[in-house]
Amino acid sequence: MNDILTKAPQGHIDVRNFSLSYDSIEGPVQAVTDTQIHVKPGEFVSIVGPSGCGKSTLLNAVAGFLKPTTGVVTVDGEKVNGPSAERGMVFQQYSLFPWKTVRENVEFGLKMRGMPRSQRERAARTLLGLAGLEAFEKHYPDKLSGGMKQRVGIVRALATGPKVLLLDEPFGALDAQTRVIMQQILTNMWQRLKISVLFVTHDIDEAIFLSDRVYCMTARPGSIKAEIPIPLERPRQQAMMMSSEFLALRRGLMSLIREESIKAMGGEISDLGMQGLNIELHGHSLADVI
Amino acid sequence: MPATAIAEADPVPAVTPPATPPSFGTLALRWYRLNRAGLRAIAIGIISLAAFLLLWHLLTTYRVVFFVRFTNVPSPLAVYASFTKAIHDPKFLMHVLLSCRRIFFGFSLAAIVAVPLGLIMGRFKLVHEIIFPVAEVLRPIPAIAWVPMAIMLWPTNEQSIVFITFLGSFFPILVNTLHGMSLVDPVLVRAAQCLGARERSIFREVYFPASLPHIFTGLTVGMGVAWVSLIAAEMISGQYGIGYFTWEAYSLVQYADIALGMIAIGVLGLGSSMLIRGAGQLVMPWRLK
Repeated sequence: MNDILTKAPQGHIDVRNFSLSYDSIEGPVQAVTDTQIHVKPGEFVSIVGPSGCGKSTLLNAVAGFLKPTTGVVTVDGEKVNGPSAERGMVFQQYSLFPWKTVRENVEFGLKMRGMPRSQRERAARTLLGLAGLEAFEKHYPDKLSGGMKQRVGIVRALATGPKVLLLDEPFGALDAQTRVIMQQILTNMWQRLKISVLFVTHDIDEAIFLSDRVYCMTARPGSIKAEIPIPLERPRQQAMMMSSEFLALRRGLMSLIREESIKAMGGEISDLGMQGLNIELHGHSLADVI
Repeated sequence: MPATAIAEADPVPAVTPPATPPSFGTLALRWYRLNRAGLRAIAIGIISLAAFLLLWHLLTTYRVVFFVRFTNVPSPLAVYASFTKAIHDPKFLMHVLLSCRRIFFGFSLAAIVAVPLGLIMGRFKLVHEIIFPVAEVLRPIPAIAWVPMAIMLWPTNEQSIVFITFLGSFFPILVNTLHGMSLVDPVLVRAAQCLGARERSIFREVYFPASLPHIFTGLTVGMGVAWVSLIAAEMISGQYGIGYFTWEAYSLVQYADIALGMIAIGVLGLGSSMLIRGAGQLVMPWRLK
């Protein structure tokens, strides 16, 4: 436990000259191109962008699941060559092992490391206690709500004491209220553990509320369009989301993403939705008027 | 960091134990309400079985001839009489035991070979590419069609019957194990890799448990086909076994024993698939609802 809580500052993520393409019948398809990002030790950084822009691709390359076509991904100067327990990951689909109880899920990384059973049981219990889940240690994931599953997912990723935590739209499948609570829990854990976080989301409020810095990506092929520091003070409270400072940041990011989303949808849509139609229905159905 | 920020966000676990245990009466009533659907199914099941027996009794007592001839079909009471005689007959018990032994060896061998083979084929493409075509060619051949070949292949009758049983259950188990392997969620594999799992651990901790539900489907189907194959093989080439018993009863014009043999086969088949289902629940506690 202690070696997780008091860790020397490390976890510097560096992505340089990164591009990634894959083959298709029509030739190579660029998913991500010419991208540089970095995360300082202990920093919370988000990547936002329109859907399909390659933000998850980028995260999967940092995790080691995908090899960059050009460029290099390093963590603390070491090149990423494949997945490892040094880079914990939390997935949108929870991805808990259904055949393991909550505690066995949390223990998994420690078991892979060869820690004796009694020791890892104790470590898992302590971690579950911190996340308010000790009452559920013997439950199978099937019996948990989405929010609880994702808390277990985060605790499991943190159990091995990774240098960095990678999250791929972790709260995307949760309802709005649960999501807000989960954001609080994540910030609290992050502040306690001083771990570097790279967080992928399409939710702008979430990105601003959680992050020290936000990268905004362009439509496919994805690259970094802008890098926005978030100077809001910590600890952050829900009430801040109404502050003028927050709203200004939100407005800025919104317009950046909107441009890209429109591009991603075909680029030729000059007006959104029915505004271009300019017909007054006066109680008639659309078919009658046309 | 200020601890207050953490305390206010940590949600309280939602489980609160009830203050006093409810009385036996309320518990019984609740149990009844929760299980009403199941109890109803059991009640209707008993009634429908009784109706079946009654119909059988009437059809045979009045020797109904209506397209189908019930003239020589034994009545339920006649079958019951031959059952009470048979359970005291060591020869009948030996027939049953021998069939069970053949199932045990044939089916166990099939499971021991087919499950690991399916797991390895599902994990290693080359093995799959080599073995799958052969398996696909052999699979459609019914186990019964193997009887002459089995007699040539194996030195004793006993071995060839076990071989037929083995063949019958082998392919359902293999195919279902393969199917299970193909459905393993790749995100779970990636999750395991991120937690430091290597190939062997991923196989043991992810692929195998993820495939277990399908493996057990294969075992259940395989057990059914094992009985089908066994009975056919016993009728054709056996000297003992419940299939042979049934066929012999026909040859010796002991009609009640035909029905007795059939019912014994049905009960044994039901019992063995229940054993497998029970084993499945033991091995996969997370599937219990």
